[in-house]
Amino acid sequence: MTLHQRARIIAAFAEEASRKGYKAVTVAAVVKRARVARGTFYDNFSSKEDCFLAAQDFAMSSALERVVAAAGEIEDWPQRVVAGLAAFLRYLVEEPALARTCMIEALAGGPASVEHYEKSLQAFVSLFQLGRDVSPHAGELPETLEEAIIGGIFWILWQRLLLAETEQIEGLLPELTEFALTPYLGAEAARGTLDHFNKLAS
Amino acid sequence: MSDPINTSADATEFPPELARLPPGRHGLPREFVAHNQRERLIAGLAEAVAENGYAGTTIAHITRHAAVSRRTFYEHFNSKDDCFVAAYDAVMAELRSRVGEAFDQEDEWPQAARAGIAAMLEFLRAEPHLARLSMVEALVAGPVVVERYDAAIQNLVPYFQAGREGRPAEVLAGLSPTTEEALVGGMVSLISRRIFAGRIEELPALLPDLVEFTLTPYLGSAEAAKVARQDA
Repeated sequence: MTLHQRARIIAAFAEEASRKGYKAVTVAAVVKRARVARGTFYDNFSSKEDCFLAAQDFAMSSALERVVAAAGEIEDWPQRVVAGLAAFLRYLVEEPALARTCMIEALAGGPASVEHYEKSLQAFVSLFQLGRDVSPHAGELPETLEEAIIGGIFWILWQRLLLAETEQIEGLLPELTEFALTPYLGAEAARGTLDHFNKLAS
Repeated sequence: MSDPINTSADATEFPPELARLPPGRHGLPREFVAHNQRERLIAGLAEAVAENGYAGTTIAHITRHAAVSRRTFYEHFNSKDDCFVAAYDAVMAELRSRVGEAFDQEDEWPQAARAGIAAMLEFLRAEPHLARLSMVEALVAGPVVVERYDAAIQNLVPYFQAGREGRPAEVLAGLSPTTEEALVGGMVSLISRRIFAGRIEELPALLPDLVEFTLTPYLGSAEAAKVARQDA
C-alpha cells in the first residue's frame, strides 16, 4: 500500500513538474493529482525537494533498468549499444513526464538535483567504457571519451525534450548510434552495426 | 579561418568594464556613471550567485557586492531575473568574441577549431564566477535564460560545421545532421561537469581530449590526435 502510494505521488510529481516547471510545483497540487492526503505525502517525503529527487532517481533508474533488460544479455558490444540506446529512447517517449523530470527539471532544480543528475550520467559513462575492450585502438582513446559521448547524446535529447519534440526522439537512433560507436570502431563498422540491428528488428 | 558567426561588430567588452569606480565623488559624466553602475550590478550579481547560488541570491546580495543602492538597482533592472539575463548576455557575448577572435587567427580549420576551444577554456578558467554563472546557474534561472543558454550553445555549431568544407565524400557520408550538435553538447557537458564540481582550474587540461573528440569525425582519429597533442 505504502509503496503504491509512493509511486503514485512520484508519478503525480513528475506530471506537475513537467507541466509547470519544478519551481512552480506545490505539494497541494501533487497530493490532489495523486489523490492522497497531505499527511501521506509527508509520511513518504520530507519536503518538495525530497520528492523531486526521488522522482528524478526513480526515472533514471527505471530508464537504466530498461536499458539493461534490452541489452544486458547481448554478447556483441556494438549490438548491445544500439539495443540499449533504442530502449533508452523508447523510455523517454513512453514516459514523457518522468523524462522531462530527470533530464530538464533536474538541471534546473539547483545543486542537489544537479548532483543526482551527474551521478546518473556517470552510470551511463561506466556502462559505455566497456567499448574499450573491443576497440582496436583502445590505448589511444582520450580518457574523457565516454563522458563526451554520453554528454553529447544527453545534450541532443535535452534539446528535443526542451522543445517538446518528443516524436522525433526515436528517429535519432541511427545518428546517435553512429556518433557513439564511431570513435571505437570507425565510421564504417558503426554503420554496419546499425544495419545489422535494423535487420534483426524488422 | 573567418569566424562563421561574425560578432566582431557588436562584441561587448566585458571584463574591463567590470572595474569598479573608486568610491566618492569622481566628476565622471553621468552617462558613464550610469553605464558603470549597470556593469557593477552585473559583476555584483555574478559574485552573489557564486556565493549563494541563483536561487539563494537576493537583490540585497547583489547591491552589496556592487556597492550601489537598491534604488539604483531598480533604475537598471526590473528584477533579479532581469539582471541575470543581462549578465548572461554579457558573459556570452564576451565568450563568443574571444572564441571568434582566436578562431580567426588561424588559417587552417583544425588549428582554428583548436584555438577556439583553447580560448573558451582559458576564458572560463580565468573567470570562475562567470563560468559558473553561464554554464551551471543559467539552467537554474528559469525558462527565459534556458532558451538563451540553448541558443548560445547552438551558436558554437557553425565553428564545427566549417570542418566539413573540403572533406572527401566518404568522410561527409559518415556525418549526420546532428553530428555538430552532439560534438558541441559533449564538449559543453565535459566543461560544465568540471565547473559544477568546483574543478575549474582543470579546464585548460581538457584541451587535448576536446580537440581530439571534436576533430575525429572530420579528420579521423590519427590526424585528430596529432592536432590535439601538438604544442600550442
